[in-house]
This record gives sequence, C-alpha cells and structure tokens, in this order.
Amino acid sequence: MNCTIGIDIGSISTKGVVIDENRDIVARSYLWTEGDPAKASKRVVAELRDQIDEDDMRIVSAGTTGSARRLVGSMLGASVIKNEITAHAVGTTHLHPDVRTIFEIGGQDSKIIIVSDGIAVDYAMNTLCAAGTGSFLSSQAHRLGVEVEDFGEIALTSKKPANIAARCTVFAESDLVHKIQVGYSREDIIAGLCHAVASNYLNNVGKGKKIEGPAVFQGGVSKNVGVVHAFEELLGMPVLVDPDGHLMGAYGVALLAADASPAPATGEGPFASGAFDFDAALDFEFVTREVECGKCANHCEIICVYRDNELIDSWGNRCERGAIATK
Amino acid sequence: MTSTQNDGVRSRVAIETDATHPSRLIADKSREKRQRKALKKNRHKATKVAFFRYGYYEPAFRFFTERVLDAEFLPLPMATRQTIELGERLSTDYVCTPFKHILGDYIEALDQGANVLVQFAGPCRLGYYGELQESILRDAGYDFVMLNFSEHNDQGPLGWAKDCLKKVNPDINIPHAVMQLMATANMATKLDGARDYYLANAGFEVEHGSFARVWDCYMDDLNAATCDADINEAYNRCMEAMRDLPIDKPANPIRIGIVGELFTAFDERSNLNLDEKLLKMHVEIYRYLNLTHRFIHYNEPNLRVSAGEYLLYDMGPTSTMTVGAARRYAERGFDGIIHAKSAGCTPEIDCEPVLQRISSDFRIPTLYLTYDAQTSDTGLDTRLEAFYDMLAMKKESRS
Repeated sequence: MNCTIGIDIGSISTKGVVIDENRDIVARSYLWTEGDPAKASKRVVAELRDQIDEDDMRIVSAGTTGSARRLVGSMLGASVIKNEITAHAVGTTHLHPDVRTIFEIGGQDSKIIIVSDGIAVDYAMNTLCAAGTGSFLSSQAHRLGVEVEDFGEIALTSKKPANIAARCTVFAESDLVHKIQVGYSREDIIAGLCHAVASNYLNNVGKGKKIEGPAVFQGGVSKNVGVVHAFEELLGMPVLVDPDGHLMGAYGVALLAADASPAPATGEGPFASGAFDFDAALDFEFVTREVECGKCANHCEIICVYRDNELIDSWGNRCERGAIATK
Repeated sequence: MTSTQNDGVRSRVAIETDATHPSRLIADKSREKRQRKALKKNRHKATKVAFFRYGYYEPAFRFFTERVLDAEFLPLPMATRQTIELGERLSTDYVCTPFKHILGDYIEALDQGANVLVQFAGPCRLGYYGELQESILRDAGYDFVMLNFSEHNDQGPLGWAKDCLKKVNPDINIPHAVMQLMATANMATKLDGARDYYLANAGFEVEHGSFARVWDCYMDDLNAATCDADINEAYNRCMEAMRDLPIDKPANPIRIGIVGELFTAFDERSNLNLDEKLLKMHVEIYRYLNLTHRFIHYNEPNLRVSAGEYLLYDMGPTSTMTVGAARRYAERGFDGIIHAKSAGCTPEIDCEPVLQRISSDFRIPTLYLTYDAQTSDTGLDTRLEAFYDMLAMKKESRS
C-alpha cells in the first residue's frame, strides 16, 4: 500500500503521522522538539517506523510543515513543504468538512482560521506577542509547581476562577504572583489562567472575526480541558476537540503530499529508490552550519544543510551575491 | 598706476607708483574682492543635499536637488542592517519604525558629508516628525541645515520657496525653479505610472528578472535626465520595453491590493520586500498609495467620498487613502487585501476596524501585517504563503 508521511516541526513539539491510501492515520508520533529539530524529527521518524508494517506499506512521499519545515524538508527529501496555516486548514477541513472556525494554539503562536464551504476564507495569526500561548502556560505551570499536562483537570475542580489580567505575559505574571501571595487556592488560579488564555486569544487573534460554529480547537493547548471549557463558556457554544487535534498540521501536510506527485527517484537522499528508506533517513548525518555572508554590510546569515558532509540546501541570503550553490 | 608682481603666495600686494607720491605697497583689493565674490557665487555648488531612502524615488529627489535647488545631490547606497542599527541607537524604543529607518539614513548621509537634509513627511508625530529628527541629530553633535517642508505648511509654496532660498541657495532663479519643480512632479508621476504596470505584470514574467532589468534601465535613464523631455522619453522607452516583454498571465490571476501607511506599505526595505515576495508567487498587485496620489493629486474630501459610509472625517496621514483604496479593491472583486503598517502607527490602527468591516461586507480576506525593526522575514513568508494558498484554493473552488 502506498503511504505518505507528514511531519510538523514546531518550536516546542514535533508531530508526525503516516497516512494510507484511504487518508486514514495509521501511525502517529508526538514528542518535544527540545531545541533540536533535526534530532526530533529523526526520533519521530523512528517512532512512526515502529508502528507500521514496512513490508506492506511503502512510503512514496513526504511533507513537512512547522517552523523548521525547510530544514527537515530538505533532510527527508519532502515533496511538499508548506506553512502550518495551510496545513492545519487542509487537515481539519478534511476531517470535519462542516467546520466554520478553527482555533489553534501552539507553543509559540496562535491562529484562527475562518472556513466557509470547506475552504479557508480568512485567517489571523498572533503578531508581536506570545501572551496566551502554550509556552506561557508551561512557564506558569512551572511556577505553580504542577505539570502542565495536569493543568486542565485541576482547573475543572475550581468553583470560582481567579480573575487574571491576560493582556500581556508580564502583567499576567505579576497579577498571578499577587493572587498567589494573597492566598487564592491553586485550582482557582489555574482555572483563572486557562480563562485568561482563552479570553486573550479571542481578544487578540480573534479580534473582529465572526466566530461561528461548528468550531474546532486544536494545537497542543487544546489538550488542556480547562482552556476548552473556558472557550465554551466565553463563546456560548460547544468547541470540538479532535483526539488527533494536535497532529492536524502533520496530517494536513501529509494530505497535501499525497496529492502531489510522488518524490522522483533521484538516486540520493531517503527517496533514492522512489520509496522512503527509513535506514537512510535515520543513518544520514545532518549538520547545519551558519555562514555569515560578508559581501555587504547586511551580513546575511546563510544556513547550510549538509548530509554526510555534502551540501544539500542553503537559504537565508537576501540577494544573489550571497547564494551558495548546491554542489 | 598699479603694477602687480606675480610672486606666488606673497603676491597679494601691488606697488602703487605715482608721480606726486613716493611708491608704496598696497593690498590688491580688486583681486581679493573678485575672489571673495567668486567664492560667494560658488558657495552653493558645494552644498550637498541628502534625502532619506524612500522606495524608487531617488531619481526624483536627485532631479529636485540638481534642477530646483541647484545644489549637489548626495546619493545613498543600498540600506543595510547597519542603517537601522544607527537609527535605533538614537531613537526612543517606542517611536515608529520609519522614524528609525530615516534617522539611520540621515546619519549615513551626514557621515558621507551631507550639509542639508530634506524631510517632507509632515503630519506624523503631531506635526513634529522632522523637527524631532533634527533635534536628535543636533544633540548627537552633527552640524547641518534641515530643509523641513512641513515647517512652513501654513504658508504653503511661498514659505517653502523662502526656506529653500534662505537655507540652501539664495541664487535660485524662481521662474526657472518652478518649471523644474513641475518637471520633478512629472517624474514622480511617471515613476508611479511605470511602477503600476510593473506590479501588475512582473509576477508573470516568462524570463526571470526581465522586468527588473527594464526597471533598472529606467532608473538609470531618469537619474541622467536633465529636462522634462528626457523624463517623458525615458518613460515611453520603459513602458515600451515592459510591454514587449513576454508574460504568461492567466485570464483571471490572483489580484491583491496593498494598503497601509505611507512608508511601510510602500518602501521595500521597511516591508521586507513585500512586492517581490508577492510577485514571486505570481500575483497581480495594486497599490494606490504612492507620492503621486498622496501629494501631487491628493484631494482628501473627494477621496473620502469614494470611501462612502466607511469614513466620515479625515483620520490622519494616509487613513483616507487606506480605507478608500480598500473599498475600491473590494468593489472591483480583488481576491485579497494586505494592510501593512509599522507597530504603533496610530492612524493605521484606527483604520483596522474599518477594514474589518469592509472585509466582512465584501467577503474579501484581509491580511494585517505589523512591522517592527526586525530583519528576519521567516514569519512574513509563512503568513504570505498561507494567505496566497488560501486565496488560490478559494478561487479554485469557485471556478
């Protein structure tokens, strides 16, 4: 059976799926990026390999998305390298054809996608500020001494959520410290934080957008039932969370890659023979080097990717002068 | 009777010989006077005038300096990362990004020997945009003359003319200068006209870089232009060359209208090459905002009428243009609107709710871009790519 692999390399977590010809997810993986996208995606590929039957399934193409899509895309020889907004929209509308609004809160960014008749018609993404994203929740969990994974359950036990100013991470933090010091209970504070994330999102990213149901909530933060509950309360309508919601970017890019023509047999890289070679992908040694172009005062940082000491891709130059030829 | 002895440096004396008086040494006054006079006359030939970098208007700035002010134009090389660093160092953190870009330009110009700096961006910062930059630079120890056209907005052309005479060149021949000023305006209009064609068609060029090549020739031609006829000839040549270039344009391409603040929506280094990024995606671009429409043919009340019920009064610098143009794009069935502003630009922030209304009334997606002094364009690429994908998929589903 011909399968497709999709990998979403975010700032905090790396996600991967394998889909079969029926567009069903047959393997899934989710783990922390830990600041090393190349290593994380190798681990994801290894995890996916363990879940599929290699004799029966032949992986013919790959797609990457997320902030490290270019790097991992050139590593894996991906045929589709797409931005995460498109990937999320494609993945979600495939699973939920009637969806009207997609909320997505990830580690560093958050976005809203408005869908009409199965087509994304408008989107917005947070711009200058990371308030109300997953990394904010993680750091506050650390401060409160609880695991971020337990956040949602604790929040649901609260009867009277604390009111926390969520406009800005710095303000929220000082407000939080104040509430702790005056003796609010922990679950009330945690519930207040979840509430703050949802209201911050709706006031910033969702500003001016007409939010209609059915709404789907995804991204890492959607696993937090406290935030889901806060969204439902604020919007007054049910918010759907897909069990695979956190994998939707990877799923979307896998769908796009499956639609694209399969990777040509170029004789090199993981797709050397036309089918994905797991051993090759895991064995190749990838090194990225940063070169500072000295040809003008711009000092562009050019990222060079080497596979087994051979330059396979480079980017970051702003003009032709800084172009580094591949081979 | 006077005889001068030419003896190098010491020869600035003459011997006066007279029958009734014994001969004596006198200073050669006439010669000194002549020299002084010549010096005065040529004084302004050494005046180096610098503008800030702004889009593709360098030829127009040059023409204005050389023909209208009759002074020397100081061209600035391409801006680099260092430029904005210089500007940031002397600006407060919260000031808008164009302010920092321009300040960086001025510092580079002064370091290269400029005597006169020109500023014409008027109404921002409560009308003290140029004044603020002037005082910052003076505090930093620079000595220069600031030709700030917004200083004499109340007096209009008369005030500006007086300022030019007083500060740059007292020998300006006013009737001649007026003629040349009209030629400068003509050049700006011709630049914008050619650019409109470029933005609408360069995305579909068959040979990569062919439009840019014609554009570079046009810039060279205009930089060398010395009169109105040269300008018109260069324009005709450029338009002819662009029309002759092979393009592969679909019948119904994706059309995006750009609106926003005077600097960020226009100047390519401020918006990290927004034009080129969109053209690479094969998009037809329209941008109503340019100097022609903002200064030469600007009629705010009439423009406001075209914004219809969306705008009842002028909200500041370019807000009427932003709303008016956005509505026009929406009415003409554009696929999307991009709104570009620098962080904290109050008039453009005021426009956003209006644009959101237009966006929902006409069902036209709008992408809001906020720029700061960042140099990384990864986030911008992601947003533009997603915007394009969205428009393309929407278009495909409709057809």
